[in-house]
Amino acid sequence: MPSSSRGRRARVLVAVLSASAMSSRARAQQQPQQPQGFAVERFYSSAPGGGWFVMDDLTMRGDLGGAMALTAGYARNPLRVTDGSSNLAVVSDQAFTDFGFAVARDRWRLYLNIDMPIVIKGHGGTVGDYRLTAPSVALGSNPDTLSDARIGADVRVLGDAASPFRLGAGAQLIVPNGNPSHVDYDTDGTYRAMARVLFAGDMGMLTYAGHVGVHVRPLDDSPAPGSPEGSELLFGVAAGPRLALDASNVAVVGPEVYGETAFRSFLSSGSAGLEALLTARVEGTRDDGPQLRVKVGAGGGISPHFGAPEWRAVVGLEVFDYATHHDNVGNRSAP
Amino acid sequence: MLPSPDRRLLTVAGAPARLLVVGVVARIVLASVPANAQAVPPAGHEDAAFDVMNLLSHEGLHDIHDESWNAYGQFTLITSYKPPFHAPHTNFNGSVNSLVPDAETSFTGTFTLFFGLRLWQGGEAYFVPEVIGERPLSQLHGIGGAIQNFELQKQGTETPQLYRSRTYLRQTIGLGGERVEKASDPMQLATVVDARRLVLTAGNFTILDVFDRNSVTWDPRQTFLNMAFMTYASWDFPSDARGYSWGGTAELYWDDWALRVGRITPPQDPNSLPVDFEIWEHYGDQVEVEHDHVLLGQPGAVRLLGYRNRVVTGRFDDAIAAFQADPGKNAAACTTYNFYNYGSGNSTAPDLCYVRRPNVKVGVGINLEQHFTDDVGVFFRAMYSDGLTEVDAYNPADRSVSLGAVAKGSAWRRPFDVTGLGFGMSWISDVHARYLAMGGVDGFVGDGYLHQAPEGVVDAFYSVNLLTALWLTADYELLWNPGFNADRGPVNLLGGRVHAEF
Repeated sequence: MPSSSRGRRARVLVAVLSASAMSSRARAQQQPQQPQGFAVERFYSSAPGGGWFVMDDLTMRGDLGGAMALTAGYARNPLRVTDGSSNLAVVSDQAFTDFGFAVARDRWRLYLNIDMPIVIKGHGGTVGDYRLTAPSVALGSNPDTLSDARIGADVRVLGDAASPFRLGAGAQLIVPNGNPSHVDYDTDGTYRAMARVLFAGDMGMLTYAGHVGVHVRPLDDSPAPGSPEGSELLFGVAAGPRLALDASNVAVVGPEVYGETAFRSFLSSGSAGLEALLTARVEGTRDDGPQLRVKVGAGGGISPHFGAPEWRAVVGLEVFDYATHHDNVGNRSAP
Repeated sequence: MLPSPDRRLLTVAGAPARLLVVGVVARIVLASVPANAQAVPPAGHEDAAFDVMNLLSHEGLHDIHDESWNAYGQFTLITSYKPPFHAPHTNFNGSVNSLVPDAETSFTGTFTLFFGLRLWQGGEAYFVPEVIGERPLSQLHGIGGAIQNFELQKQGTETPQLYRSRTYLRQTIGLGGERVEKASDPMQLATVVDARRLVLTAGNFTILDVFDRNSVTWDPRQTFLNMAFMTYASWDFPSDARGYSWGGTAELYWDDWALRVGRITPPQDPNSLPVDFEIWEHYGDQVEVEHDHVLLGQPGAVRLLGYRNRVVTGRFDDAIAAFQADPGKNAAACTTYNFYNYGSGNSTAPDLCYVRRPNVKVGVGINLEQHFTDDVGVFFRAMYSDGLTEVDAYNPADRSVSLGAVAKGSAWRRPFDVTGLGFGMSWISDVHARYLAMGGVDGFVGDGYLHQAPEGVVDAFYSVNLLTALWLTADYELLWNPGFNADRGPVNLLGGRVHAEF
């Protein structure tokens, strides 16, 4: 075959392949993309014994003690996405319970939190270039599902359990569990971590707490709407009066405001969420045996994006025990 | 005495608090390791167990005789090896439920934490998360009542899964009589209760936590590996694919007598994980009467159990009649019609997928135990179920017998070693056999043909106790007529187990 003929045929082949590739690419661009799915939960409950719902009062003290906590809640529309013209509540209803167990000694605390989704449901559809799948978690079809577990450690580095200013540090490892296909919005499917600076204090009747930290989050599914964009800054504060009910019980009423924003689009509206809860709790104050704490809270998203729901209601039940002195047969006494 | 739930001694001495903290940290870290099991009720710990609560108590940090909370854990790894065995036909004519005659290995690994919390006087809450990973033999097919490893779950995966096995409330109402000490154990807060009392339980648990307890076979994680000895092989108690249910039970203890009743949820489809919460329409009811006695100075007990399930299942005679009336309603066509089915490709066999509707299944059983010395006991269980409908949740046996002996090693100065020898046999009903012989399959068995025979197993094990809370077990099982088919087997099964409690 003459070389000129071979060259001509080669050029034609390249042109056909290029046209074919461009056509495929164009078809692919027309096909809606499927986001990965992720853990929509932004309510990172405080360590068992931590007092507030999200903030931590850093009151660890005494000999070996600890706490068990059960928190339950419901969030309405925690994940809504929009492309400017259409809106979709991908996760419209989310109900959960969270079990926590902590051991504490002196100013240290170790804990385990296990999240149990009860309902995660919403609406599937297409928003912009993305086709979103509705999650489907219900107690009947998923009778024993547990989602991501959190293992953490906290320490108070400054102040004692009743100081006007207490400073502490905390770290959490989030272990992925739940539906491995991520379509139920109950897990990122990757390990995550949090490192936080914690502060708290009691000044007269006022009690307060807050945190600033980093959520190391490998999942970056941007620009998929509503999806994580990698690691995030965490922030939050809570404060309220501490009212004595009787000799051994107090009530604390106050707001908790907390949120998060992705570092890569810092504080932009689509990647920052801000939520406020008005909380109230009643708790025992004695150190001579297990104490009960009952908590309720309700609120919603001040900036209802990025996992902050339209509204949320939570309840919590906690038994904690910071025995300060023991004799050698287990009898305890307050200092 | 073999089980020692009410006699704990605090024998761990001198452990400094630092060790305790390190231990707790290690346990919490380990709890995060993703790992998958058939529902197993935990037993009381050894008297000399190295566990969190004993350590706390020894350090003066916990009252182990009157607990407001407790936390325990366990780890169990079981491996099984099946050498090749003789079988003339396997998965005949497109069936899918044969035990494969090639060599296979199987394993389960479980890691469990048990949390208990006293809420108010007589009120207790329990939460038990568990991690499990598993690989069954032949995808859990081909064995009827004698599955070689009791931990195996339906729909389990090799990738470890964390799930919630139990969350329930218990309320004890004292009615007088002598005072009985309940020792601290997994899912038992230490307390003192009346010998006459009413115990109410509600939530998510396995019915084996309440019914058919046997202090000789006690915790399967400590004794026989074969599922035939965990409970009645033919007790088709409703549960999800892992072995757990939702519901409520009531137990009335009156000195040496106990009466138990309970209603629990079935799965939405037979042998599946989703739960049918229409507990007034579909349910499993159980009733058990127990009498404890002393014979020749040693304790023993007799238990009678009856159950009645009303669940959505298929009757074998309905499936056969449907196929005979219309051969198009065969096993292979179930997929075409998108009916819930077990995946058989046999177009010449009937299938249960066409005939599922609410059906009733009933059975009665007897459970005997008797200790001969403090360290040697024998047990016997037998149950007769009607055998008219398919297995809904446990295993496909319709009638079963098991018996055996378990001994601790005091006689040879190894008091925490455990050894046992057990024999189990299970049968299927005539209509069940006719269905299988026509090539039908149920949740576990169906070779595509059947030469009907009872399935039998002998299980012998020896557990060596190491480090007070760690046991290594060697186990041998001989299984004959697997899947109730006389043409298959016998099958040799070699097993090993590592079990730790803390």
